[in-house]
Amino acid sequence: MDKTTVRMQQIALQTLANGEVDVILGWKKGDEWYDSYPVVINDINETAELIWDAFCVNNLSKYLITELKKNLRIGVFLKGCDSLAFNQLVIDNRIDSERVVIFGLPCPGMIDPQKVKHAGLNKGLLKVERTGDKIVFITKEGVKEYIGRSFDYDKCLNCRCPNPVVSKYMLSDAVTRTDEEQYFPDVTEIEKMPLEARYDYWTKQFSKCIKCYACRNICPLCSCETCVFDNIAAGVSSKADADCEQQFFHIIRAYHVAGRCVDCGECSRVCPVGIPLEKLNRKIIKDINQLYGDYTADTDIAKSPPLGTYKVDDFDPFDGSKQGGKK
Amino acid sequence: MSLKLEEKAISSKQQFEPLIVAFCCNWCSYAGADLAGTSRLNYPANIKIIKVPCSCRVSPNFVLRAFQRGADGVIIAGCHPGDCHYSTGNYFTRRRFTLFANLLEYVGIEREKFKIEWISAAEGNKFATVMNEMLDSINKLGPSRKLRDGRWIRQQ
Ligand code: SF4
Ligand code: SF4
Repeated sequence: MDKTTVRMQQIALQTLANGEVDVILGWKKGDEWYDSYPVVINDINETAELIWDAFCVNNLSKYLITELKKNLRIGVFLKGCDSLAFNQLVIDNRIDSERVVIFGLPCPGMIDPQKVKHAGLNKGLLKVERTGDKIVFITKEGVKEYIGRSFDYDKCLNCRCPNPVVSKYMLSDAVTRTDEEQYFPDVTEIEKMPLEARYDYWTKQFSKCIKCYACRNICPLCSCETCVFDNIAAGVSSKADADCEQQFFHIIRAYHVAGRCVDCGECSRVCPVGIPLEKLNRKIIKDINQLYGDYTADTDIAKSPPLGTYKVDDFDPFDGSKQGGKK
Repeated sequence: MSLKLEEKAISSKQQFEPLIVAFCCNWCSYAGADLAGTSRLNYPANIKIIKVPCSCRVSPNFVLRAFQRGADGVIIAGCHPGDCHYSTGNYFTRRRFTLFANLLEYVGIEREKFKIEWISAAEGNKFATVMNEMLDSINKLGPSRKLRDGRWIRQQ
């Protein structure tokens, strides 16, 4: 068994047994090779079923919001990007970090089952194992080995934070990524397009949306108790497929997490129709970084969120005569 | 298209009467509008004012909603930064809507269609000028269905 999985099961058993935590949030393996699903366990006998593999892509930090209402202390496994979301939830005052024990999982990248399927490797596939950049496909016929990141989710290829920024127990050695990441090329590309082309591009993208709200539901930070898009009376989300409502939804969804989005890429990952939602989020992140200092909702929970604060001399695009502040 | 409809379309194009929704803060800009009125300054009847307690009360939802339901331009007017009745409200407005305006432009909406202006209670003149300019630029853009609810028909 994978070293980290062994460690994972040990630590879960240990902390449950000694009462450090009441429940554990982790993943179990489903029937399929690509199926690692989130679980909440409180039974020490179940700890042996916990798993860490290249498909533990689900971010467990969002579950803390509801689970902390039912349980006193929770142990949770967090990858790098998950830990950013955890921090942001603490900043947003959605969870009490004192009651959470974090087991950190440095993450080499998660595998996109679609890419495996497209490469035709899914036939008879039983299991996929990953150590660093070495990926082993175990099939009925035999074993195939690959080196590299060609099966990683797109979002993982752009990962800026593979190692957890906060944790009590780290379960493996830190991952080092040397590849120079290009953070905002996609945004700059769209910014350079002429206005009408931009409008057409986005209207076309938005029109694909089937309003399943998976992007909203998966987002660790889209966590309002009631959402305007569930409120029929608000009149902003009917069943009809109208451009204006799609635009409304997408602009508000992106804007609503402005300053809080940790760019974990979950929204675009789960979108069944492949709308590049990260290009909206990243536009906002890029602007915030440029205008209000380097804030990529973040590693430092002492920092105040960029839209929850202000500076008297902030850039003022609405006043040509003076750049903000009192004269 | 029948001749009659075509005529109607042409004439409605000629008489493009933009609708501009102005969210004005109670303390400065609304008073500024009042002053413009009492000073008998001209500002267009196309401007529909909605009074809000503070410019930071306006949520982006309101702006998009206005566009959906027929506005050709939306403007938020508040006290000058530093002069907010609630001390800091408009500093938040400034940050939020700087980002929001950028985002709108990013998805292909003309800058001219959405504006923020700082107008104090003493600036009746500025109020009239700003509104006239806004109408001007919207007129130049011409009718557009961007962000509009296609099922929506303006009540005459
Ligand atoms: S908006 Fe998307 S990328 Fe940002 S935190 Fe939510 S799911 Fe992650
Ligand atoms: S996940 Fe995709 S299709 Fe579903 S609501 Fe979000 S953008 Fe629309």
